[in-house]
Amino acid sequence: AEFEEAENAEAIFSRIENKSRKIESLLKQYKPVEALKTALEGSPPQTKDERCKSANWIVVHRAIMAIKDVDSLFSSLDPEYYDVLMKYLYRGLSTGDRPTCDQCLRIHEKLTQRAGLGCILRSLADKVNTV
Amino acid sequence: ANSLRLYLTCIRHTLEAAMCLQNFPCQEVERHNKPEVELKTSTELLLNPVIICRNESEKCLIETSINSLRVSLKMKQSDEVENILTKKFLRFLCMRAEAFQVLRRKPVQGYDISFLITNFHCEEMQKHKLIDFIVELMEDIDKEINELKVSVSTRGRLVATEFLKQFV
Repeated sequence: AEFEEAENAEAIFSRIENKSRKIESLLKQYKPVEALKTALEGSPPQTKDERCKSANWIVVHRAIMAIKDVDSLFSSLDPEYYDVLMKYLYRGLSTGDRPTCDQCLRIHEKLTQRAGLGCILRSLADKVNTV
Repeated sequence: ANSLRLYLTCIRHTLEAAMCLQNFPCQEVERHNKPEVELKTSTELLLNPVIICRNESEKCLIETSINSLRVSLKMKQSDEVENILTKKFLRFLCMRAEAFQVLRRKPVQGYDISFLITNFHCEEMQKHKLIDFIVELMEDIDKEINELKVSVSTRGRLVATEFLKQFV
């Protein structure tokens, strides 16, 4: 995977702010799948800065927790987002917070059924684009 | 019960994906063959470590490298009695680690029990059986600790009743 320090931190933070506003409005319209798609776009941020990654994680976390129906999620989510979603699920599972872990475990089971073990292995092996 | 099932399924899938081990002789020292996950000398041989938490007290750390895989588990310990029982029981198992082959003698810092699986284990034994072993061990340890706790409190009650009979 290609990796370049493309933008500086401020640009990334402002992008994340915009995403977060769009997501809030989508969630108010009860469109959790759209919100998750918006959150996963442009992720993970092409930078080594931990704060950008944390800020992006907070946005994705919000979208993940808002999902109620996991099956409908996979009927509308594009396969290109599966790998990134898996990386964020593992980040969620490492937090140890009970509701986050419950939600992440539920989505993880369905995502593995859809995407297979390759998706898990890609998230383990990718040390360049970490979340 | 459902969250336990999801937790074990997640661990099983992650182990199936992570257990892709092949022989890799040591790069630094000639004619040596060491489990790279224990040494962590070369970063290109290590994969991302992954923590899978069920809740605040139970978690599972899976670290993989090119020729070895380390699984560390932290068990649920709700009170002091369970704490002591878990420690004693797992210490009993760890002292007999030779017999288990994949068990590590000392758990990783911060966890209760650790397994080290190398490519040699995968060559001798079947991958899915190894994963079944780990997952079944997790379930059985939980059951054992509960049984031990029940028997400890039963014995305590009997002893106390007998002792206090002389004061009636």
